[in-house]
Amino acid sequence: MKVIELQDVTRVYKIGEVETRALRGVNLTIEEGEFTAIVGPSGSGKTTVLQLMGCLDRPTGGRVHIKGQDVTRLNPNKRADLRKGTIGFVFQFFALIPGLTAYENVELPLLLSGAKKAERRERVNELLEAVGISDRARHRPDQMSGGEQQRVAIARALATHPVLVLADEPTANLDTENGRQIMEIMQRLNQETGTTFIFATHDPRVITFARRTVELRDGRVAENSQHA
Amino acid sequence: MFKLWRIAIRDLGRNKRRSALTLIAVMMGLALVIALHGFEMGAIQGAVEDNIRVQTGHVQVRGESYDKDKVSLKWEDLLEDPLGLAAQAQMLADVRAAAPVLWAGGILGTVEESVGVRVFGIDPPSEMAAPFREGLVAGEFLAPDDRSGVLISQRLANNLGLTMGDDVSLLINTSGEQPDEATFTIRGLYDTGFPSFDEATIFLPLAKAQAFTRAGERASVVVVLLHNQEDADTVAAALRAPGLDVLTWRDLNQLMLQAMESSMGMLYMFYLIVLAIVAVVVANTLLMSVFERTREMGILAALGMKGRQIMAMFIMESATLGALGVILGVLLGSLGVYYMATEGIYLGDIDIAEMVSADIAYGETMYAAFQWADTAVLSVVCWIIMLLASLYPAWFATRKEPIDALRAL
Repeated sequence: MKVIELQDVTRVYKIGEVETRALRGVNLTIEEGEFTAIVGPSGSGKTTVLQLMGCLDRPTGGRVHIKGQDVTRLNPNKRADLRKGTIGFVFQFFALIPGLTAYENVELPLLLSGAKKAERRERVNELLEAVGISDRARHRPDQMSGGEQQRVAIARALATHPVLVLADEPTANLDTENGRQIMEIMQRLNQETGTTFIFATHDPRVITFARRTVELRDGRVAENSQHA
Repeated sequence: MFKLWRIAIRDLGRNKRRSALTLIAVMMGLALVIALHGFEMGAIQGAVEDNIRVQTGHVQVRGESYDKDKVSLKWEDLLEDPLGLAAQAQMLADVRAAAPVLWAGGILGTVEESVGVRVFGIDPPSEMAAPFREGLVAGEFLAPDDRSGVLISQRLANNLGLTMGDDVSLLINTSGEQPDEATFTIRGLYDTGFPSFDEATIFLPLAKAQAFTRAGERASVVVVLLHNQEDADTVAAALRAPGLDVLTWRDLNQLMLQAMESSMGMLYMFYLIVLAIVAVVVANTLLMSVFERTREMGILAALGMKGRQIMAMFIMESATLGALGVILGVLLGSLGVYYMATEGIYLGDIDIAEMVSADIAYGETMYAAFQWADTAVLSVVCWIIMLLASLYPAWFATRKEPIDALRAL
């Protein structure tokens, strides 16, 4: 089943009089349960594609479908609702809420989706266990290492059982060992839960984890390959 | 909602110095307003009470044609049976005391100079005379049958270079509009603490004043004191009769009440200005906080938080900061009011009455009074202003698209 479908998507950023064409007609379909890497050099449009898939942005042209629903022209509130229940995000700079503990950061999407307290507690503990960070539940981001923070971010991304997790350069700020561990965790969770993972990267070591690679070049899909 | 509060509160703790400075601004602003309001209201209440005690009483019964400004001594303007009226008033349950008073204008002269004075003919043992009896600083108080004694204030004596036992001449217009002059001996010196009143008022026993002015047994007015000033209308209604004009303390202090009402209008404007300045400080703090937390808002938006929830979070921050500031402001302001209520503010020789009206008895020291209901209203108003001040920064926070906010990542 298609989770995401991009149809001839373009995205033009206009800053003053200067126009930057980030995407120039991207056609791409992602099936449920995929573990896909979007690769390409800087400025190739990786992050823009992820942002459009994540309903954080709207395309200049073309259409974006998520689970069959056309989300191209949804208003900000509807997009927020869609993100809340359907999409999880993992960012390059971990992006945890500074004032909240690891537990509370993971709990936040559940709170926003209206989950009951007992349900939240069970889910948060399960996820912290899954990413191997239960013992750091009461620590705030500034009390954790980069690797630990990224694990919390993964747990948070999965909190509401999303159909799709989008990770933008998830290992870019981690050392090799921590980067490998993060990829292993994402891979395992993909296999165990069936959640679709799409991650943007230009790190060759990370690309080896992907079962499918989509290469972007100059705002277009240059290569689309499946791995064994 | 609870989690939003928690995030809001923790955000306040993130930049402690800035939050503390904002808190101090709210606290100081409200404390200033509360203290000033307490002082002003205390001064108003005190001035009204003092004026009632020293000059007007709670209720006055006069002849219908009596004109206080002219200090008329014409028989037809005076009360024919003041003692009977006083006795009638005294019978009422709400009345503490009632006594006749005769007013006259005169010129008090010494060998070297003379000054215009108001002559009060009083019944010396009556409760009306209590403020002057209690304010005696030298000599003795007047006796009812004293035929040549006069009581003047310490201030007037100092101004004229007089002392106890000195003789002074008093020139008056009698009820027949003929001038008459007599010499009186200063029996005692008084000090009520109201400079304008003291400098212009001398006392004679009622009987002597009536004889000197040829007023017979008549009086200008019967002054009535009540147990509770709120009963003034009831007592006034009971004393009303044809040919009589019965006035309550509100009528008698109208000028002062009006002057104070208009000064309160100015003060309310001042309160608003102070609170508006505080609101600008709060708005500025929140706006800076919004700029600093652009990235965080992007994350929250990515997690599915809607614009109105982000807005609510910032309003909660302001609400929390405002509530804390209000609590501290009330404490500090109340402390200021407590100090001014117990110690008072000494005005010394600043003669406010001269600036406002000689009919107003202002003391040398003014005391504040706690105004709990007004403090509650001011606190709520301050808190609401804090919330209003947060609306723009909160709205500004929601203006950013998640994508723009996340670019800070």
